[in-house]
Amino acid sequence: MRKLLARPLAHLPSNYRILFRQFLLRVVDFDALSIQADVVGYIGQFAGVLMMFSMIHVFFILIVFGMAPWYVEHYLIATMMLAAGLIAVVTWDAIFPDLRDAMVLSPLPIAAHTILLAKVTSSGAMIGLAVLTLNFASSLMLSTFAGAMHGSQWGFLQALAAYWFTMAAASGFLYCSILTVQGFAALLLPHRIFLRLSAILQLAAFGIFLGVYFLQPSIETPAGMAAHHNQWLLACSPDFWFFALFNQLNGTLPSTLTWLAWRAWIGLGFAVSGSAASLILCYLHTMKKIVEEPDLVPRTGSIHWAPRFGNALQTALTLFSVRSLWRSRQHRVAFAFFLAVVFAIALSWLRGQLSGATPRSMPEGFILSTFIMMSVAVFALRSVFSLPISLTANWVLRTAQLSSSEKYIAATRRMLLYFSVVPVWLVSAFLSLAFRPWHQVAAHLAVLALLGWILAEINLIGFYKVPFTCSYLPGKSNIQFVFWGFFIFIITVALPAAEFELRSLDDPFWYVCMMFVLSGAAIGLWAFNRRRASSAILYFEELPTELITTLKLISY
Amino acid sequence: MLELRNLSKRFAGIAAVDNVSFSVRPGEVTGYLGPNGSGKSTTMKMITGLIEMSEGEIFFQGKPIQHDLMAYKRRMGYVPEEPYLYNHLSGIEYLTMVAQLRNLPARQSSACIDGLLQLFSLHDDRHLSISGYSKGMRQKVLIIAALMHNPELILLDEPFSGLDVASALVLRSLIQELAARGKVVLFSSHELDTVERVCSHVVILHHGKLVADDSIASLRSLMELPNLEAIFSQLAVEQDTDSMARQIADLIHA
Repeated sequence: MRKLLARPLAHLPSNYRILFRQFLLRVVDFDALSIQADVVGYIGQFAGVLMMFSMIHVFFILIVFGMAPWYVEHYLIATMMLAAGLIAVVTWDAIFPDLRDAMVLSPLPIAAHTILLAKVTSSGAMIGLAVLTLNFASSLMLSTFAGAMHGSQWGFLQALAAYWFTMAAASGFLYCSILTVQGFAALLLPHRIFLRLSAILQLAAFGIFLGVYFLQPSIETPAGMAAHHNQWLLACSPDFWFFALFNQLNGTLPSTLTWLAWRAWIGLGFAVSGSAASLILCYLHTMKKIVEEPDLVPRTGSIHWAPRFGNALQTALTLFSVRSLWRSRQHRVAFAFFLAVVFAIALSWLRGQLSGATPRSMPEGFILSTFIMMSVAVFALRSVFSLPISLTANWVLRTAQLSSSEKYIAATRRMLLYFSVVPVWLVSAFLSLAFRPWHQVAAHLAVLALLGWILAEINLIGFYKVPFTCSYLPGKSNIQFVFWGFFIFIITVALPAAEFELRSLDDPFWYVCMMFVLSGAAIGLWAFNRRRASSAILYFEELPTELITTLKLISY
Repeated sequence: MLELRNLSKRFAGIAAVDNVSFSVRPGEVTGYLGPNGSGKSTTMKMITGLIEMSEGEIFFQGKPIQHDLMAYKRRMGYVPEEPYLYNHLSGIEYLTMVAQLRNLPARQSSACIDGLLQLFSLHDDRHLSISGYSKGMRQKVLIIAALMHNPELILLDEPFSGLDVASALVLRSLIQELAARGKVVLFSSHELDTVERVCSHVVILHHGKLVADDSIASLRSLMELPNLEAIFSQLAVEQDTDSMARQIADLIHA
């Protein structure tokens, strides 16, 4: 395969090939990596997770949804658009030149269109990889069923082609729309204001994609689509446009919905031409502007006030972490990506509660959801803590380490509690307002608080580093293993635990027993971590485990 | 007093610093000189505790620094060779963080930071992100961070890098003033002219080995050379600089 690709690639200009490779791998920040990081292996693991996700997705569609064709078609397109939207949020700004590009590439004899082409194709390759891996199983499944409607031998192939074109078009539409908005904002606004606005736009896009996906009413039948009161929703929802486009290409679109498919064509045309125009103009005009106006976002206020989070050391580390998380695009996006799961669950419950009128008893599904939200939030924050912000600046933490490692680890515990356990607990408490009786709600929230504490302590085991300071070693933790481990954990532990808790909420004896065990586990883990922390040494470089262990049997 | 005894550091068996011993006395500024790659910064990093030594010992006020490293760090201020800072913080946020890490009283450190920012002409830019600071502004932040806790031992690795003329003159006087107040000052630089003006004593390193450890006046009279540049050229520069410059120009021209 590599040989097959090597010959045509060799004909491309060498500076384009070098830039393409640089921009493609920039999805991982090399400045943050350990010296022994395996980037290619890491990306491969990630692609593997997406492919497995695609297969599970299909399995659930076949078993759970029971194949209502229109519903499944719309669901797959909407889900792909959400995935493309989230990828666009993750790779925000990646296609536009930044200060580093401007400073390094501007003095070199490389044409602006070569840089632009390398950026576009590398971003396209990332999106393309995600589209391919996420859809390879669902494309076969949907084409089999959609093709069967034709009753001809070519039906499958027509449906397959329609499916892939629609998915590529839907993803492209979303990605190009975002580029258009960003591009024109970069062109029209002063660079400093654009930088400030860009961060806000990024988070807004993230919220809009998730909110629309989970709160948008579903229309599952042809009759529902034809209903007069649904026309406004159809006209405003790009996922329905591309649903119509798929059926148009597949030859299964009712003539009354042709206008929807045309919206998809027009929208795609506008998005592609808009992004192309904004990109070309940006590369012609923005490079110079970036050099003249560096990536500096001045603060508006002149008052330097910051809240205290415990003693001086805890305050210093907490403020450092909050500022790193808020001001670093990479860290913000990584955390937001994990939090998408928490928001998705919370939004889906909120949607159910907005439609439900009267208070009801707490369902098992809610208990399970809060467990999952808590687990994801704590593990997400712990994962983001592992991404460094500036390895070269760590010397100051090392030369100013005047307290024992135990105190640093205690500060990290506080951060895990403040920024993952407490917010999820508050969201769960808010969502619990719809349930009765109150004593059950309070009892569940007590269990959830203990669970959060236990998870925070589990995540602190062996975490002897200051958040955002240790070099990152991708490939050290096998993503496949973590991903499936998490699923197995949910099925084998969280599901039975939720069922058990629901029964215990009505039985004081079992509830007291459960609280006793959970409190014991939390206190035991806390004591264990404290004991180990007393002799721990903080580390700033993540290195792989040695393959050869020296037994040191010979004394020199 | 800071005392290095038979200090060595090897990377993969290659000695970056080889059996180096010298003392830095309070009340005087000791210059630490050597060509690129001679082991100056490696020595500085061993003195700060950033890297471990392969052999030897470092004593401060008569005690090995490893015995109570945290107490030693409390008394030390360090300006590193490169102005690496957390770029996502503003100048004042960075300095406040360092003060908090050093557990300095909040009110006292705040007043000290404010005063130092004004004296170093950084007060107006204190709320700007460090990513927008010039090299000289970053250097000033490093100097403030190294001095604000009133350290007994001051380690300066290329402290004049990027500073404008006025700031460099202030720093030069400041180093002498601190030494006069009894601080132990070790000062590494490539600017021989400045070293000659500021330091009373110099230590010269070449290929990781000590080649000179004496007062400048004594070296001048011993070697019968007019200035520090001539002494340094004789002890630590192997190449014929004029011939090398010609070779480079020829290579570019070809």
